[in-house]
Amino acid sequence: MLAVEMRHITKRFPGVLADDDVSFDVRQGEIHALMGENGAGKSVLMSILSGLYRPDSGEILVDGRPVKFASPLDAIGAGIGMVFQSFKLFPSLTVAENVVFREEPTRHGLYDKRAAAAIVTQIAERYGLAVDPAAVTGSLPVGVLQRVEIIKALYRKAKVLILDEPTAVLTPQETDRLFEVLRSLQADGHTIILITHKMREVMAISERVTVLRDGRVVARLNTAETTGEEITRLMTGRDIDLEQSPPKSAPGAPVLEVSGLTCRQAGQKPAVDNVSLTVRAGEIVGIAGVAGNGQSELAEAIAGLRAADAGTVRIAGTDVTAGSVKVRRAAGLSYIPEDRHAVGTAPDADVASNLAMGHHRRPPLLQHGLLKRARLADFAQRLVDRFGIKVAGTGVLARTLSGGNLQKIVVARELDYASPLLIAEQPTRGVDIGAIAAIHKEIADYRDGGGGVLLISAELSEILSLSGRILVMFEGRIVADLEAAATNEAELGLLMAGGELAGAGKEAQS
Amino acid sequence: MMSSSSSTREGKLAGLTGATGRRVSQWLAGPVPTSVLIALVIGAGFMLVAGANPITGYHSMLVGSLGSGQGLSTTIQRSIPLVGMALCVAVAFRAGVLNLGAEGQMVLGGLAGAVVALNLPGPGLLVCAVACLAGIAAGALWGALSAALQAWPGVPLLITSLLLNYPARYFVSWMIRFPLKDPASSSVATESYRPEVQIPLLAPKGSAIGDWLAQNLGSDNPLTVIGKGVGWSLVVVIVLVALVSFINRRTVFGLESGINGLNEGFSRYSGVRVNWMTTRTMLLSGGIAGLVGVMLTIGAPTSRLIDGSLIDTNYAWTGLLVALLALYRPAGVVVAGVFFGAIVAGSGQMGRDLSMSPQIAAVVQGIVIVLIAFQVHPPRRRRRAGPPAEADNSAAAVPTNQAEGA
Amino acid sequence: MSGFFDAALVESIVRALIPVLFAALGALLCDRAGVFNIALEGQLLIGCFGAVAGSYFTGSAVVGVIAAVLAASVFSLILSYGSVTRKAEPIVLGVAMNILAVGITSFLIDAVFHVRGVFQDPAIAGLHHFAIPGLVRIPWIGPALFNLTILGYLGLLLVPATSIVLFRTPLGMRLRGVGERPLAAETLGVSPASYQYGAVTASGVLCGLAGAQLALGNVVQFAENMSAGRGWIAVVAVMLAKDKPYATLGAALLFGSTEAIGFRLQGEGLAVQITDAAPYVVTLIALLFAARSFRRQRAAATVA
Repeated sequence: MLAVEMRHITKRFPGVLADDDVSFDVRQGEIHALMGENGAGKSVLMSILSGLYRPDSGEILVDGRPVKFASPLDAIGAGIGMVFQSFKLFPSLTVAENVVFREEPTRHGLYDKRAAAAIVTQIAERYGLAVDPAAVTGSLPVGVLQRVEIIKALYRKAKVLILDEPTAVLTPQETDRLFEVLRSLQADGHTIILITHKMREVMAISERVTVLRDGRVVARLNTAETTGEEITRLMTGRDIDLEQSPPKSAPGAPVLEVSGLTCRQAGQKPAVDNVSLTVRAGEIVGIAGVAGNGQSELAEAIAGLRAADAGTVRIAGTDVTAGSVKVRRAAGLSYIPEDRHAVGTAPDADVASNLAMGHHRRPPLLQHGLLKRARLADFAQRLVDRFGIKVAGTGVLARTLSGGNLQKIVVARELDYASPLLIAEQPTRGVDIGAIAAIHKEIADYRDGGGGVLLISAELSEILSLSGRILVMFEGRIVADLEAAATNEAELGLLMAGGELAGAGKEAQS
Repeated sequence: MMSSSSSTREGKLAGLTGATGRRVSQWLAGPVPTSVLIALVIGAGFMLVAGANPITGYHSMLVGSLGSGQGLSTTIQRSIPLVGMALCVAVAFRAGVLNLGAEGQMVLGGLAGAVVALNLPGPGLLVCAVACLAGIAAGALWGALSAALQAWPGVPLLITSLLLNYPARYFVSWMIRFPLKDPASSSVATESYRPEVQIPLLAPKGSAIGDWLAQNLGSDNPLTVIGKGVGWSLVVVIVLVALVSFINRRTVFGLESGINGLNEGFSRYSGVRVNWMTTRTMLLSGGIAGLVGVMLTIGAPTSRLIDGSLIDTNYAWTGLLVALLALYRPAGVVVAGVFFGAIVAGSGQMGRDLSMSPQIAAVVQGIVIVLIAFQVHPPRRRRRAGPPAEADNSAAAVPTNQAEGA
Repeated sequence: MSGFFDAALVESIVRALIPVLFAALGALLCDRAGVFNIALEGQLLIGCFGAVAGSYFTGSAVVGVIAAVLAASVFSLILSYGSVTRKAEPIVLGVAMNILAVGITSFLIDAVFHVRGVFQDPAIAGLHHFAIPGLVRIPWIGPALFNLTILGYLGLLLVPATSIVLFRTPLGMRLRGVGERPLAAETLGVSPASYQYGAVTASGVLCGLAGAQLALGNVVQFAENMSAGRGWIAVVAVMLAKDKPYATLGAALLFGSTEAIGFRLQGEGLAVQITDAAPYVVTLIALLFAARSFRRQRAAATVA
């Protein structure tokens, strides 16, 4: 008995064929993993199933009946609920309000707060999803927000639940807890589709796997009959080695010395709490942590984008604690920020300007106090060639580039400073695997050229393969300092959740 | 805007290869000409409401703006402050600084110029120069006040700059009505300046060039008429356009302010001190406004500052429209400024010929901008780098992620 | 100074605040729905003109009010169509609409009534004041609060009404949701476009009422540019009040008091320019004090 069947789905975006004649089915009551690299077409396929996009061709059957979704509402009506990777919640509304939005219980025409809270509590208790109905969502950690999203879908009578990369923001331990919830949902007759690219999870929970690559289905497998290696090969279509060579030389002089750095925020715990760390020339120091534990704030505070309330920062020996971003960059900082669209580039400016920013304050681009337009163009062309950025010309707007190429713009510009210190924050988020390999290689080369790197990443595999030393951040503090060779994902996951190494294996239930 | 160098180069090449005709016809079918056309049609509807024949009306408008020597002269006179005020707004908006206080900066500049012209003794040219500098300083400081209030305690510049128009306007009015009032005059105005401190006309009647033009070309020749109607302010504005264009293209400030206007988060991250950038932008923008105010105050044939004279013409707000129409580009500002100047000049003529309100100009201008805003979006500004609005970026991000695999 | 603060002053404060209050509630709804409306000044002016024209041609103040509401809400379609359907920049539209409104109204009083500057005529029917028996005798506030035009009462009642709709009903919850996360609302089947159209149209209706109160209640005439910055004050009032209805009333009260006190001081010989400037200066100072909380907010945020 099929809960959902999608037949011959094709979806095209300008210049991209996202899904090419994809057929996909899910059985009633199973947990089905939909796998593929970034850009394989899995998110678009599920967005079609949840009514967000309409396919160019193909049909969808739910419980054997053909359906046409003109909007997400139609999909909800057919019992399909999606938990998006970036949550669709209203930060200023309470948990209960978010859950009942548009299906509000009313009394005398007014919103019935108590009834809404009762609904939330009832669903939450039934499936072990701990939430406070009266909490304002804007102040909640991501793990809780995910539960709110699940409750929201269940309140709308979703029989089929789609979760898009649900574990990206969770520690391994939180992931296990989520899986318990999913199993209890399954026991209650729900069907679950899990979009993911993480092997451990697929093997742990799914019954069947569909693998997409470049917009096509390359395999439909029973989990019990396959292996992680086989799925990886199917997903990538090639064997890509993301392992990087170890550093060629021992670390040299410190290029970044942070001492007692603290960033407070109004009404909450400090975002960065008394952090001290050192990065030396020729080494990569990784910072592991669940998103939202102060890593971004730490990077911003080092870069001068966020005011620090206490502590000192020295870059390449210069005390820049009181310095502006400009001063810190002059002292030897380059920085690949987390958000390439809002911070790392100006998508509405041309590629040449995006590459020139920062370099424009010194020769050869600046001469006798004036910019040389011709040199600006040459400079941009040189970086485009050196980093293999695919672009029609340096005069086109940066927004026309794909995510991977836009990220290469950021990487190219920052590495070309050849400054002593590089902060790389989520350097490969949302880029395809080819670009990941290229960016990893550039970072390793940079290290071997004598640069010091502070690598902040949500991908433990990235941290483990690149870093020499790994620091773990939890609630704004550095809670562990480990040699990369002497640790592993499980240990890091426990530390990221605030656990103690001494008690490893006996995680406290909460 | 940052790609202007390569796109103009492409434009030239395309022209050389004979595609000019196609480009021109493409442009004509584009949003700007169609918007202008529709606006003129709607304007005709308003004329019908007023009981006038639109054809007669537009004929009168054409004659009064471009179709006669006097019309051309009036158009240029009106275009000078419009282009100036549009530059003031363009330099600010391009940098992402939403200066709605151009009017206040202009009137204070005008007042400062008038005070200098009335009180400073000495050679005319020197007084004139000092008056200009005083006006620039007054406008720049008034503009910088908004920038300062945004830096600390943090009131949005859009609002403070707008609100500061009113005290400036009423202060100038009060100055003219009380301390500077000419007791001998029945109108509310200052005393007249000495003729030699005015910004002179290009070729006034009685001057050597003026007489030569009149004798050799005839007194009705457009050049003669323009010479005796248009002052050296024209040259000042042309220099100003060239200067702004140069700043935008060739200076660090120009590159950084353009980037700042497109994405403040990126410019901050690149080491631009945004508050200081905003302050410098407001000094420049306000300074230009102040200079325009001075030119309107002491530029011949104006010989004294009359209460309300700087406000009633609405140059500041019309200049804002010009800047929007020009998408903040200096060259575009000239074209759009002359176009709006012609509408103002022509509407004046039409008003006199058909005894109709010259406000038809504001109607047509407003409609043009509204229609263009529907179709063309000026260079987009991004949110400040704050907490990302994640939920709302995701749908857009999905196809982008897909593009990465391709 | 005894006799300076008297019942008449309170009365003129209330009179001054009503039009600003209407416009500010309109701005509040737009803001909550995620449309930055700076066209209020123009909407208000169009409302004034519609009120006077409707009242003059029919001799009925009620028709005047209806005409004002219709004119201002049709005018507001420029903003809703432009910013919602065409995704145009609301700041650009607002600036253009304000200039357009001055142009249209100034052109039309010349074309229709054949006067320039001010149009005053006995044929324009003004709004009646309805005294509530008994209550009107309360000293000080009685004449101020219980001898208003219908629109005056309506304006004051709209404050709690707006608050209830916004915070206690599903409609209000959805409106706030749309303004905060339009895409999230859309995935749940709440169309941001229709709520935004609704909010902008409501701002048109409210500005129409504001215009009617201004041109048929506070005075009985149309004057060029008679909105005189009140639309801008409304924008600022909502900013000060952080989109909260009762706080908006407070901000409007601040403005009304400044205007009324300034007007009174004119009688004491203070220059008219100083009292004219006072509301803007006071508003600015209030903004400076309230500023800390809207760091990184609004102007930049709404433009993206």
